[in-house]
Amino acid sequence: MKSQTKRRPGESRWTGFFYLVPAFLIYLLFTLIPIADTVRSSFYDWGALGKSNTWVGLGNYANLLKDSVFLNAFSNNLVFIIFYSIIPILLGLFLSSLLGRYPLPGFTFFRTVLFLPQVISMVVVGVIWRWMFHPTTGPVNLFLGIIGLEHLQQAWLGSFQWALSAVGSVGSWVQYGFCMVLFLAGMQRIPEEYYEASSLDGANELQQFFYITFPGLKSEIGVALITTIIAALRVFDLVYATTRGGPGESTMVTGFLIYRTAILNNNIGYGAAMATVLTIVILSLSLLIRKLMTDHTNEAV
Amino acid sequence: MKPYRNFFLITMIFLLALTSCTSTTPEQSTQEPEEVINLLVWDQFYRPEESAVIDQLNLEFEEDHPGVKIQREVKILDDLKLTVKLALAESDGPDVAQVNQGRSDMGAMVEADLLLPLNDYLAKYNWADVFSTSVASRNSFTPDGKTFGQGNLYGVSPTAEVVGVFYNKGIFKDNDWSVPTTFEDFEQLLADIKAADITPIAFGSLDGWNAIHEYSAIQHLLVSLDYINNLTYGVNNASFDTPENRDAAQILSDWAQAGYFTQGYPGIGYDDSNNNFKAGEGALTITGSWFAPELMTGTDQEFGFFLLPGFSGQPTLAIGGVGIPYSIRKTTQHPDMATEYLNWMISPRAAELWAQAGMLPAMSLPEGSTVDTNNLFGETLFAWEAVNKNNAVGHYIDWATPTFYDTLVAELQKLLGGISTPANFTAAVEADYARFLQEQGQ
Repeated sequence: MKSQTKRRPGESRWTGFFYLVPAFLIYLLFTLIPIADTVRSSFYDWGALGKSNTWVGLGNYANLLKDSVFLNAFSNNLVFIIFYSIIPILLGLFLSSLLGRYPLPGFTFFRTVLFLPQVISMVVVGVIWRWMFHPTTGPVNLFLGIIGLEHLQQAWLGSFQWALSAVGSVGSWVQYGFCMVLFLAGMQRIPEEYYEASSLDGANELQQFFYITFPGLKSEIGVALITTIIAALRVFDLVYATTRGGPGESTMVTGFLIYRTAILNNNIGYGAAMATVLTIVILSLSLLIRKLMTDHTNEAV
Repeated sequence: MKPYRNFFLITMIFLLALTSCTSTTPEQSTQEPEEVINLLVWDQFYRPEESAVIDQLNLEFEEDHPGVKIQREVKILDDLKLTVKLALAESDGPDVAQVNQGRSDMGAMVEADLLLPLNDYLAKYNWADVFSTSVASRNSFTPDGKTFGQGNLYGVSPTAEVVGVFYNKGIFKDNDWSVPTTFEDFEQLLADIKAADITPIAFGSLDGWNAIHEYSAIQHLLVSLDYINNLTYGVNNASFDTPENRDAAQILSDWAQAGYFTQGYPGIGYDDSNNNFKAGEGALTITGSWFAPELMTGTDQEFGFFLLPGFSGQPTLAIGGVGIPYSIRKTTQHPDMATEYLNWMISPRAAELWAQAGMLPAMSLPEGSTVDTNNLFGETLFAWEAVNKNNAVGHYIDWATPTFYDTLVAELQKLLGGISTPANFTAAVEADYARFLQEQGQ
């Protein structure tokens, strides 16, 4: 006899795949094939415009491990994870646990406004924040002057000490609203009864946060982590529009380094190796976070 | 049957979508008669004043050459640099395109055999009378693309540039200052300006590349023409780690420490710094003659230009050269007409139009030209003619290696920020240069 699984009579199992074919073709042509081609390029020493093309196997990768410029760029990306990911998530958790349970007037307005930075193109964000950080006419320094903190005024984007943090803080500004909106939505899912029950049992706000809010938001935190970490590792537009990796190499990031190596300096094989390494790191981190943070419980209690 | 009908519907919609996304590259018309030649030209003269000049020249070219149509595409330089490398390899790419000088751009394209050598046309159009060999060498490479400054000519440049000092005439008059004639006087002037509580040099290093000019302008006063040629073209085993380069770095560092640059300059970009200078903040700024047109309109301040004066008793070089050249795609169907177009772009008429727009032409103005030279533009023109006549035109040193630009910017930002010393600076830059020479096999 044929298979014993239950199927709707008259509908072929393959219909589902046919629906996928058009989208998959586009995905194949414009994403999968270029990715495969990039990985293939990374095994060659490929110079200007495709003329000289010699196989070096894992040579590019070996050079990457020794390349201080690449390692510096990658470590800057890790620093960006703090700004893009940790800070916005912590802020989002804190504020949503304070506000999530009590509807405030104008809530929809605040939700919209907080989410706006996500919608603006990162290049525009970079250009605007460049003006914000201007040493003499920028609002950041002007504000510090108004509240009497003149000694903290800097040439932010040109300072070897502060440029990375300044650019990172722009990332926090962009991602914070997203996390907040996500967690607020997640908090709607947590039944109010849990809070009532726990306060009857004598739990204070902090315990409620750790035992109810935080576990309840687990999948939202997972989504936020994946999205923001990917943004931190991928960053290019922001650095391009503000500092271009400077001063020195203090804000150099992997994305910008790939652009500079492969496209400006015609060193395509080496740039492809960087891109492959970055892709593998992002994929691994995403899979790891998904595994750790997926909420497997359908019904709590 | 129902499932298959859905399948056909979806595939039809998909195919329809595909066919509507047709390519948008302009195609050579095949319906017009044989005599019409379409020249596709890419340039980067996007600024309104520059673009007007090109449109005018194109119009006059078409009038003078019936049957030829110019199809012009303008891009900003970053865009052009990215796309032209690929477009010149295509059979429907631009016939004529502006190609950035230097190894990563023109050199790479010569190596990939994408550009038409122009030596035969040099003789045919007598271009030796139009620009000197020094100028021609900037657009020359050996056919393997390895040696810069010699070999075949691959491009002609319509505009010229020289880097010097713009000064605010109003501020000078108010404080009774005059244009210095020696470098010692120049440094004294900087001190005087600082003492008068005015920003001596309007400057911002956030964009990086203009820092190369600040440094190299001083460097050019200390080195010889042979050295700067050897360094930039990568011949005769030059080194960057020399006493002169260290001295220049020391002077620049001293200026930064003395507060001669705009306060907060590490966080200010080139355009912002220029806007401030144009509005009257700062007495001087060191940049190229391309800034002159902007300073002549839309401001109530009056500006002048002078070359950075040399040390007493020493010959002086100035950073300069010719602007981005026009090149011809090797596989073009119309090499003769394309070269005719190139010749048009470096004609005396073109010189006149550029001069009227306030930009330095690379070629001489025609006899009896009515262009007004009693202004800021005239001052840059006289400066350019002076260095050209004295064979004192230097180089943009970031041309020296494909990675020199990045290295110089990073190291200069460290030097200016006080993190690096002049000795470290020259050593770090030399590391890049030596590695490049080694790869070139010297």
